[in-house]
Amino acid sequence: MVSQQLLLNIAEELKLPLIQIARQAELGQLSGSTDLRSMQATADTALRLLDNYVLGVRLSMEPHQFDMEPVSVSSVLYDTGQQLDSLAKNYGVELELSIAGRYEPVMAHKQGLQAALVSLGAALIEALPALETPQLKLQLATHRSRYGIVAGLYAATDRLTNQALQNGRKLRAARQPLMNFTHTSGAGIFVADAILQAMQLSLKASRHHRLYGLGTVLPPTNQLQLV
Amino acid sequence: MARILLLEPDRLLAQTYVQALSAAGHQVVACASAQAAVMAADDARPDVVIVELQLIEHSGIEFLYEFRSYTDWRAVPIIVHTHVPPGEFSDNWELLRHELGVKQYLYKPHTSLAKLKKAVAALQPASV
Repeated sequence: MVSQQLLLNIAEELKLPLIQIARQAELGQLSGSTDLRSMQATADTALRLLDNYVLGVRLSMEPHQFDMEPVSVSSVLYDTGQQLDSLAKNYGVELELSIAGRYEPVMAHKQGLQAALVSLGAALIEALPALETPQLKLQLATHRSRYGIVAGLYAATDRLTNQALQNGRKLRAARQPLMNFTHTSGAGIFVADAILQAMQLSLKASRHHRLYGLGTVLPPTNQLQLV
Repeated sequence: MARILLLEPDRLLAQTYVQALSAAGHQVVACASAQAAVMAADDARPDVVIVELQLIEHSGIEFLYEFRSYTDWRAVPIIVHTHVPPGEFSDNWELLRHELGVKQYLYKPHTSLAKLKKAVAALQPASV
């Protein structure tokens, strides 16, 4: 069940885009030039976080209402990149798609999977510039592991660990539960966590080539491989 | 005109504050982490430091202890400009004010650019 702690977390998180918009508007009034594209991207990201939270709550409350379907992980990652593009531009983060090879479809709730990856991606994009990584790059990637097909987001920082994630889950009501890798309340990460949990999946630290990240393992469906 | 060291982890907000303070005639060096701010202080030679308390890895308080440990920076006025509501710091206000030399505590959601500029103007060298 998505908790009140998560709601508290989101309330804290939403102050950031509202402050960004308010101050950009004030600056625009002073300078006579307003960056409307940036403000729109900020507002869209905040709205998506709210929508994704609502989806997470609905998924956990009424799981039978949401049908699983064959989903192409590559296409979900592509669409995730599209949704994150404007926010990434705001933060000067380069998005890169890394889908090498062909992957069979997985059974998942497509909207849920995408919402989780978008929430996660938005949180990582906001955090990356402050992490002072060698490159401001976020890779949306998939690869095969012994447990299934992994879909995740990866960057050149070794702070995205299972330990940090576990501690963050315990401290979710705190102001800054994921202090190791974000200056915000990390709501996007917890929303992703909640959505994946509602779909019987889990958010975990993983590696893709030399990058570190967070992602989920999607079990491939043998039946679909025959199609 | 003041030389300002701005410790702000959010890139978008940092850009906005830098533009607003620069337009007011100040010279601003922005850093996203406590470590970068400590490194930048020597070159920036700040007249005023603006600090967010919520940072990655090290908190703004840790930064202030480190910053104040250098003789050169003991007298530089500090403005805390943060997401942390002042109520959460009421028990530690003496520490912030007397031990760390914080001159102003501004709660970010309630602080307009005009208010921030006013706080800096009140602390810049000519009026200190």
